[in-house]
Amino acid sequence: MLNIIKADLYRIFKGKAIYVAIIIILVLASVSCFSMSPGHIGINTSFEEQPLVQDEELLNKVYETDSILETRKLMKEYGAYPLDKGQLGANANLYYIFIIIVVTVLVTDLSNSTAKNTLSSAISRKKYYLSKLITCIGLGTFLVLINNYGSYLINLIMNGREFSAGLLEIMKLTILQLPCFYGIISLLVCIGFCFRKTGTFNSITIPLIIVVQLILTGISTLFHLDTTNILNYEFQYIIGNLIANPSNTYILQTLVLAIFYIIVFNVIGYRVFRKTEIK
Amino acid sequence: MQEIVLQTNNLTKKYKDFIALDHANITIHKGDIYGLIGRNGAGKTTLMKTITTLTTKTGGSFSLFGSEEELTESKRRIGCLIESPAFFDNLTAYQNLKYYSIQKGIVDEKQIAKVLKTVDLSKEKNKKFKKFSLGMKQRLGIALAILDNPDFIILDEPINGLDPIGIKEIRDTLKRLNEEEKITILISSHILSELYLIANHFCFIDKGRIIKDLSKEELDLECSKCIVIKTKDVKKGTVVLEKELSTTNYKVIDDTEIRLYDYLENSAKVNKTLLNNNIEVMGIYESGISLEDYFNSLIKDGDE
Repeated sequence: MLNIIKADLYRIFKGKAIYVAIIIILVLASVSCFSMSPGHIGINTSFEEQPLVQDEELLNKVYETDSILETRKLMKEYGAYPLDKGQLGANANLYYIFIIIVVTVLVTDLSNSTAKNTLSSAISRKKYYLSKLITCIGLGTFLVLINNYGSYLINLIMNGREFSAGLLEIMKLTILQLPCFYGIISLLVCIGFCFRKTGTFNSITIPLIIVVQLILTGISTLFHLDTTNILNYEFQYIIGNLIANPSNTYILQTLVLAIFYIIVFNVIGYRVFRKTEIK
Repeated sequence: MQEIVLQTNNLTKKYKDFIALDHANITIHKGDIYGLIGRNGAGKTTLMKTITTLTTKTGGSFSLFGSEEELTESKRRIGCLIESPAFFDNLTAYQNLKYYSIQKGIVDEKQIAKVLKTVDLSKEKNKKFKKFSLGMKQRLGIALAILDNPDFIILDEPINGLDPIGIKEIRDTLKRLNEEEKITILISSHILSELYLIANHFCFIDKGRIIKDLSKEELDLECSKCIVIKTKDVKKGTVVLEKELSTTNYKVIDDTEIRLYDYLENSAKVNKTLLNNNIEVMGIYESGISLEDYFNSLIKDGDE
């Protein structure tokens, strides 16, 4: 199994996709740090979250302007706040980076039929499945760390220490978010093993996050349920909520949800893959 | 006794109502070049995919190197090229083989250079796979199949789409591997004339069923021109052939049939000689067909 992981890492670091993903992550972090306006600061309405910037007048001005320089000026005037912590609240964007990882590690192998070279040798389907899952999770963790610590360092360089939450806080928040990322990677791996074609995989996974939100909103509207309460257990909201001093109960609930995702999607993925004919 | 490399026992594969492989029984001995012949969709690839566990069997069983249970271990000794060769487009030939050598735990990098040399791709080792011609892709596929020094290689239509020079190169490579490295080969094709030049054992498959399994000598015998003599007294008939017609170039097929490979232009003389020696001849006729006609007749018989 270790050999399959090593081989995949050799192949992936010989290709361009991983470097493109790293560049995208660092460019987005740089733009966000420079504009001092990472995706979710102050706009999340969940009950758990304490907005990092609470001045509504300021936020309205930020939303009205198109200029990054103007945004930066406004946010600087507001004063010190942990910008890198806010940056982590926008980590749901990493979902699209995880798609790149799963495509590179797994779906390309199944879609190009190169998987048959591996599976016709002395490698069982179980080993193959686990190796791919571990590689995806490993690379996912690597990119999350690059994103989180990259944002931290870029923010330190661009904005100074007063806008930073500190290294320990970043580490704590990273650990809180990782189980949810692993749950989402498990979902993507499951879809990859079930559909095995790059085009199909992309057409399902790219809009999935929006579709899930729409469905949840639709259900809550239809049955007159509390939309906010339901959305708090949706991936994008969980990632945002986890950076805003959530209660221990909420942390535990998201952890249980993440473990549920990891188990359920991997069981489904493996059961489907075990019986699949390799083209 | 020769070691059995692969043995299938009523191996069956069904896709819903379609039977792709119907109780197939084949035995491949060590050192064989075993040719699997059939039309497109006859079941050749399904048989190979089932053996390599790329698809699951519906019924029957098979053993690799005498083992039915520890297939994963047995698969360490086989190399495969199933359907078209598939590699990563953005990697070079060397990088693709390096990827699989890491996966197979091959430490010695010289092995990659060795297999590239065997398939004559040393000069193109730094060329990306997407820039390869079909022939080069097929040869890289064979390089992968022999990367781990296997005892048995399974090649699914490796000469498909190749030009005559490419076909000859593959043929020479496979013969060399069989003779020098003592590798047992299972090779499929729908071009019988090409397989005839490589294989020493032939298996005809149609509609998922094995319709004939024979050695090269037996195939030659089935196809070569001869006079078929049908008689109830085969023993006396052979004595007459030897004494009166001075020939030993015949073969006794069964209790009622002799095949004579001399006097092909003079079957009347043979008939007269036999009758003059009081041998009851139930039938006498010329036989012998081309490989293609033989293949077609087998398929026709199978249909009937």
